[in-house]
Amino acid sequence: MKRWFGGLLISLLLLSGPVLQAKAVIPGASTPQARESLTLAVLDYRSDSRMQDQYAPLVSYLSDRTGIDIELAVHDQEALNRAIATNQVDLFLTNPSHFLLIRSERSLTGVLATLLRDWQGQSTSSIGGLIFTRADRDDLEQLEDLRGASIATPGIHFMGGYQAPALELKTVGIDVRRSSKVLYLGNHDRVIRAVVNGDTDVGFIRSGVLEDRIAQTPELAGKLKVINPQNLTGYPFQVSTRLYPEWPLVSLPHVDGRQVRRIASALFALEPEHPAARAAGLAGFSPPADYQSVEHLARTLRVAPYDEAPKITWVDVLHQYRVWVITVSVLFVLLVFTSIWLGRKRRQLAREERRQRELVANWPQPMLMLRGTELVDCNRAAIELLRYSGESSLLGKTLAAFSRDTQPDGDISAQKIDGLLRRTQLGDVVNAEWVFVRSDGSDVWVDMTLAPVYEHGFDVPFILCSWYDITRRKEAEDRMRLAVQVFDNAREAIFITDSHGVVIDTNEAYQQITGRERSESVGSLPPMPVDEGSAILVAARKHGVWSGEFRSRSRDGQRLILNLTLSSVFDDKKQLSHFVGVFSDITRLKESEKKLRTMAHYDALTGLPNRVLFAERLHQSMAQARRHGYQLGVIYIDLDEFKPVNDAFGHDAGDELLIEMGRRMRTVLREEDTLARLGGDEFAAIAVNVDGDDALQALLERLLKAVAEPAWVASHSVEISVSVGYTLYPQAEELDADQLLRQADQAMYQAKRQGRNRYCGFSENLL
Amino acid sequence: MHRRSFLQLSLRLSLAATMAGSLVGCTQKTPLKTGVHPWIGYETLYLAEEFDWLPESVQLSKGQSAKNSISGLLSGELDAAALTLDEALRVSAGGVPVRVVAVTNVSVGADMVLTRPGITQLSDLVGRSVGVELDGVSGVMLLAMLDQAGLSTDQISIVDLPVSEHLRAWNEGVIDVSVSYKPIASRLEEAGAVRLFDSSQIPDTIFDLLVVRQEVERKHPEAVADLVRGHFRGLRHLVRNRHDAVYRIASRQGVSPDAVREAMATVMLPQLAANRRYLAPGGRVESVAGRLAHLLKNEGLVEVVPDLDNLCSRDYLPRGPV
Repeated sequence: MKRWFGGLLISLLLLSGPVLQAKAVIPGASTPQARESLTLAVLDYRSDSRMQDQYAPLVSYLSDRTGIDIELAVHDQEALNRAIATNQVDLFLTNPSHFLLIRSERSLTGVLATLLRDWQGQSTSSIGGLIFTRADRDDLEQLEDLRGASIATPGIHFMGGYQAPALELKTVGIDVRRSSKVLYLGNHDRVIRAVVNGDTDVGFIRSGVLEDRIAQTPELAGKLKVINPQNLTGYPFQVSTRLYPEWPLVSLPHVDGRQVRRIASALFALEPEHPAARAAGLAGFSPPADYQSVEHLARTLRVAPYDEAPKITWVDVLHQYRVWVITVSVLFVLLVFTSIWLGRKRRQLAREERRQRELVANWPQPMLMLRGTELVDCNRAAIELLRYSGESSLLGKTLAAFSRDTQPDGDISAQKIDGLLRRTQLGDVVNAEWVFVRSDGSDVWVDMTLAPVYEHGFDVPFILCSWYDITRRKEAEDRMRLAVQVFDNAREAIFITDSHGVVIDTNEAYQQITGRERSESVGSLPPMPVDEGSAILVAARKHGVWSGEFRSRSRDGQRLILNLTLSSVFDDKKQLSHFVGVFSDITRLKESEKKLRTMAHYDALTGLPNRVLFAERLHQSMAQARRHGYQLGVIYIDLDEFKPVNDAFGHDAGDELLIEMGRRMRTVLREEDTLARLGGDEFAAIAVNVDGDDALQALLERLLKAVAEPAWVASHSVEISVSVGYTLYPQAEELDADQLLRQADQAMYQAKRQGRNRYCGFSENLL
Repeated sequence: MHRRSFLQLSLRLSLAATMAGSLVGCTQKTPLKTGVHPWIGYETLYLAEEFDWLPESVQLSKGQSAKNSISGLLSGELDAAALTLDEALRVSAGGVPVRVVAVTNVSVGADMVLTRPGITQLSDLVGRSVGVELDGVSGVMLLAMLDQAGLSTDQISIVDLPVSEHLRAWNEGVIDVSVSYKPIASRLEEAGAVRLFDSSQIPDTIFDLLVVRQEVERKHPEAVADLVRGHFRGLRHLVRNRHDAVYRIASRQGVSPDAVREAMATVMLPQLAANRRYLAPGGRVESVAGRLAHLLKNEGLVEVVPDLDNLCSRDYLPRGPV
């Protein structure tokens, strides 16, 4: 609602506007055509009364010559603008700058004539600006001194009073338009007064004004001085600037063409001597000058009507600054490309650096960096090797801090590492084995490499340190050393052969046992059982090991019994590569064994089998008798009257007697028969393959006879006898050896009872 | 005496002082030393210097007459100079090939042939004693006139005399005809001489030029461009700010502004577009140079016809507005 009302009000106002204007125009509507007289307006650049006096004769001259009633109006710039705007002026005379401004606001037919100024007989149609200051201002000598000076000027639209001086200052880099110290005083006389009074430092006036003032008040000449004077031959005035065309006389478009021609002809007809010209200080009028230079001046200074910056299109800029635009564009493009390229390179570098860092950090081999003797960097593997939690435990410390006081070779760790580092700093790459102590106290062997790394800006090189864990190798070496010791020092002979059994290495014991030098042994076969030979290699290959005893001979022909264990050694591919044999000389051992066996089965005194062997043989013989179906006889013998011999002649004599008796009985028996001493004076015999009772009794007869022969013991002849019991096997009932021997024993007792020195067979009725 | 020297006479002292000044102001980078002497067509360079439109790459060497510029070019002391076309041809024929890089002005009436009353047409010249400065531009004027009249030098009696002495010779009755130029020509007219012929009748023939030694041109093309640009900036001031320029030229030449205005009326100052046309391959300057060179050779004023290929170059004319 409210908005609608506002809109209505605006519409009403718009509608009523033209009506109101029309009403305002009608009362003053005196059209130019209706007017009989014309008005010539002259710019009042000095002071009103004088201008009026100076130009009145000219106006009356024109009125007389043209028959047109012409009135003179002297206005300052503002009043003149107003008068022109309200059509109260038909012709006007003003300065070129002001003319340009008016021309831009009104469409004018143009300039009728350009004023010719006269000064003491010299005429000129040129106008310039005068820059002046007080004569006592020593600090203001040239244009450059005017920077920051306060300036008095009649106004911006004054040719000599502003624009021409402003251009000269602009050429030395002083922009008057931007200066805040400019006083606009309306006319030239006030400017001179302001400078003389010291109100401003300098003043701008048009050429000619100063000369006119000095003519009136000559003492002024000594008070002022001109800055940047131009000595121009033939120019009547002092001037500080370049020159421009003088004032134009302009007719406004509404003036009748015929009137304009009449006025123009009157103007050109004006002679310098004419009183009208004299009064106005003119030499007359010349044909219109070219005001192009004034336009250019206003354009350069950017003053009205050229105060708007020209619209410069991109095309204009491109046209004007083609080379610059192209150069800047090319440079910009290059800059962009370079930036992109550099950025890419930087990212690439950062990536590579990161990758290398990662590489070093994750490299499985420990790597460290030292500056001087201190650790400054290390990778994860180094920390893990020493079993620390983080790099802070390592950095800033020396290598000696992670070592025992002395190294295994006896050197003091701190001194040794200093020596190594010094060599590295001199440029060597140093290699050393080193033992570090882990955080848990255990030792770790490393193969340490130290290399110098030269970096720009550092005199002393950094040192790159890498470790290679050789703890296992060291342990293996220890084991190896031990094994060699064992090999060399073992009492057992050890030999190693190739897969064909040819010896490639032997130890010391081997040489001692075999009596062969090592050089002889290598390349030949080791001692092996003669009958089996290389078969044991096959066995060892098949079962992994062969073990056995065998007879051999040493180099000097001694008989040897060797106990050999031969083992196969397989390589990584499970292929047999070597045999390892260990053997010992068991010759002596075997002899002892034999002796012991003899002691267990034979009677030490007589050398006859003892009760144990007899029992064994009886078993064997009984088995043979059953198998072959023959008979055997078991004979039990007991010496009669032995005790008295023993008592009479001593034990030695008794022993001699026993030996002698044993020997005699043995001779009676056949080879295959067995005679054994059962203990004391008791003997027993086994007669195999007995052909019946009679054959056995014949044997026993011979036995009794052999014993009965006198024996020589202890230098005495002794005669003894034996009581003999016997039994046969097999019998009707099956019986064992003990029973059989017991039967013979019983039979012997029977013989004792029957009177000794006789034999008696076993029979059931004996019981 | 070369014709361009007359404006100069009263200014020797001040010029010598200026020249000394310019030599002192010589910069470390050897500038393009350009010989120039007072002539309305060359005023553009003085104006350019006065308003500081010549960069440091260009240094004016102000001589009294064209003679200074010619000898300077021949000796290698000067790199460039402002000369008339015939003078340029003489330098080239003297063994120092030059390149024409700008036309500063074309004579349209500045040079004239004055005769005693009664001689009304060119054919009347036969058998007359003609005062002419063969070594200068008036020699060219005479030759061009005879060429147009279909006469040869044999048919007239040549009195080789500096232009500055023509008035005396006229008054003494030594010569009936004077090939001269202002202001001597004005005084002869006052003494009763009548204009028979002037350079406006042989348009586009008497050229004033900026020339550069070809050897230097190759080494310092930028400096040459700076010189040409300076000329055109001066020319712009001369045309646009004529009110100002007239007084400045008058001041420098020591004559009245009216004399300057009068002198300016006898020359045509070609702008950029006209320069392009004049300097075009096979253009006016080149064709005139060809004819002139043969004329000079035929009259024995030069010993050889110089190589005129690529005499002119448009490369140094400003491309945009100056």
